Parts: sequence; C-alpha cells; structure tokens
Amino acid sequence: MSDLRTALGPSLSTLFGGPTQVVRLDPIGGGASMEIWALDAKTPQGLLELIVRRAAGGRIYTDALSLEDEHKLIAVAHAGGVRVPRPFGYLPDLLGREAFVMERLQGETVGRRIVQRPELAKARAALPAQMALELSRIHALDRAQLSFLPVPDPLATLRAQLDALDEPHPAIELGLFALERSLPRDAPKAVCHGDFRVGNLMVQPDGLSGVLDWEFAHLGDAREDLGWPMVKAWRFRADDLRLGGIATPGGFLERYGELTGRAVSEEEIRPFELLGNVRWAVGALSQARRHLSGEERSVELAVLGRLACEMEHEILQLVEGSAR
Amino acid sequence: MNDRPTAAELAEAVRGFLESEVQPALQSDRTRFRALVAANALGILQRDLTLGPGLLREESELLGSLLGLPAAQGVPALNAELCRRLRRGEAPAGTREALLRVAAMKLSIASPKYLRTEGTK
Repeated sequence: MSDLRTALGPSLSTLFGGPTQVVRLDPIGGGASMEIWALDAKTPQGLLELIVRRAAGGRIYTDALSLEDEHKLIAVAHAGGVRVPRPFGYLPDLLGREAFVMERLQGETVGRRIVQRPELAKARAALPAQMALELSRIHALDRAQLSFLPVPDPLATLRAQLDALDEPHPAIELGLFALERSLPRDAPKAVCHGDFRVGNLMVQPDGLSGVLDWEFAHLGDAREDLGWPMVKAWRFRADDLRLGGIATPGGFLERYGELTGRAVSEEEIRPFELLGNVRWAVGALSQARRHLSGEERSVELAVLGRLACEMEHEILQLVEGSAR
Repeated sequence: MNDRPTAAELAEAVRGFLESEVQPALQSDRTRFRALVAANALGILQRDLTLGPGLLREESELLGSLLGLPAAQGVPALNAELCRRLRRGEAPAGTREALLRVAAMKLSIASPKYLRTEGTK
C-alpha cells in the first residue's frame, strides 16, 4: 500500500496540475479483477474525497469494458448530465497497472439496505422517477463519442456463456427458446448502462446521488435497462414491488415515457425482464465457475452456483404465456 | 459405518458455530457478510446430505418419463437430452411443469425460504 501511496503522488500532481498530497488511502472493496481505494488528497482545488479504481491483475470479465473505456464513458455521461461521480482522469500506469480517479460519493449502495432500511423510505419514494430520469439521459448519450462500446447480440452471448458452463440447464434453455420468439430485435441501438439496478445506485436519504458500475455498458435496446432493475433477485423478497423491491413499475415506466417521448408498457418490458432473469441465471452460474476454476476463490461466488435455481424458477414463471 | 454425528449433523454443528459465535464477533461488515454466506453454504450442504439422494432419484424418474427414456440414464444425461430437444424446438408436452417441479426440488436444498415465500402468493 505504501508503494501505491508513493506512486500516486506524482500521478495525481499531473492530473490536478499542481502539487498533490495523499492524506488517506484505504482499500474498500474490489475482487480478483479490480481494486477499489478510498483516497483523500490535498490538491490545488482543495481537499478532495476520491475513489481510485485500479486493475488487480486477475482476468477481467470478457464482456466488461477496460478501465480506460469505462473512464471515457463516465466522462461522456457526466458531460451529458447523468448523475455520476465526477471523473478526474485516467492513469495508464499506476505502479504497472491502469487505473482511474473519480469523485467519492456518499450514501448507501447495498441493495438490500436500500430496500429495507426505514431511514431510506423517502429515498425509495423518490427513486423510481429519478431512475427514469437517469435512464432517459443515458439512452440519449451520443453514440458517436462512444465508438468503443460493444454491440453484443444478447441471445448469442448468453448461449455461448451457457455452453461454456458445460452443465445442462433445461430451464435456462426454455427461457432462451421463449426469448428467441419474443425478444424484439429491430429497435435502434442506444447506449445501455448494462447493469442498471438499485444495488448499483448511490442512494442518500432523499434519493439517488449517482449511477455507478458502468463496466457492462454497451449499445443495445434501451428496454434492456428497463427490464433489468425488475429482475426478481434484486427485490430482496419485497416481491409485490416489482421495480427492485422499491415500487410497482407503473410510475417508473410512465416517467420514462414522458421524458423520452416513447411510451413503454409493462407488457412490452416482460421479455426484457425474462432476458434479465436468464442473464442473471447464467451470470450466477458463471460466477461459481470463477471459484471452481480457482480464478477467484470465494464462498460467495461458490454459493451462487446453487442459488441459480431461484432464477430458473422465476424463468419458468415468466415463460408461461410467452413460450407457446 | 461412521459413528454419530453424521455428515449432516457435522455440517449443522459448524453452521451453528459460524452463525452464533464467529459472525457476531467479526469487526468488518464485509467479513460478517461472508461468514453469513458461509453458514448458509453449510445449510445447503446439510440439506443436500439428507434430501439429495431421494430428490435425485425423483428427478431422474421425472425426466425419464418426460423424455420416454429409462431413468437409469441418470440426471446429467437426461438433462443434456432435454436441452438438445429444447434447442431443436422439440420440447415434450409437460416440459415446463416438470422443470418447475425440478426447480422446486433444487430450491428445497439450496433456498427453502425462497420456496416458502413463493408458496404464500
């Protein structure tokens, strides 16, 4: 850590255009592919509370953006009026690995707490309209500045990931079969956040303060981002509140429609909710493989392999009516 | 024949220790959460040891009769065959219902709480 502290000094001085001093540097999370540091720094602009995201050497997810591209995207989103941590710059070589620096927002990011804590009741009331607003801005971002974003075929990607598991999952196959018939393919491609759900938002008592975790951004059907926060796994058993355990989806979709001029019905989002459940089922099984292969040993990842049957159960509920 | 505690009882003993002694004594939120996940994993192990063999037999019979194949082929082979048929668009009648029963069996081991909240709807 002291090496990193030493290396940060000159890098930050270049970034902030003047002598900058590290006051605090603490690890606050991350995993095999990413380090996350809380950094307080005395800069020419004053004392700043910052986050450093730095590559950790382990293999990154194949469908995740590089740190350089993630930083570029956050900068474009920031300029486009999306509530994101203010980006301060990309560091191609911070002690041998790439990193970037951004503002450190305050608030709660743990989905379960956002859904359950009494002191966040006001935030839960404000979030649906705020989420709609942020998505309307994200989906309006200029693609021309973001030519590095991948344009994945969602079903082909999922099928490849499912095949890579080398374990048969008929419930997921049935979900994919239903999606091949029901998922619209003709929508214009928009900038999609790719992991927009309550647990990836920074939330303060009065509502949303920032949209986080941009590494799965891509160009795709904007409705993917509307269906993903409705996936049952993010409701933390507040199941009547389809939108991430905080609200029924009506107000959220209505606000999104008003802001974008494109009305979206709950009916229309259903295949995207199914897509989200299939994606998280395959995701959970793939995460367990990270543990099993030794790539990232973790009891949390291991258990996900067994919890995927929750998503399989939900997929089977959702295919009723859409499959045949 | 091993003496008691059985494998399931041992898993339960370690789970109880993690939950009631280790987890509350931990300082960091992150480690406390992981201890909870570890205790949960031992609960899965315990239920798998007790319920697993019976459920696996039931699953192979269910899949065998769905596909018109001998249950003796075993769950992995039967699942693989069902996947091949689904991919060809040749799902046997009753597939969704059979898979719902299989999912409920897996949940009774991995996440019985999930199943209970589903049942109350």
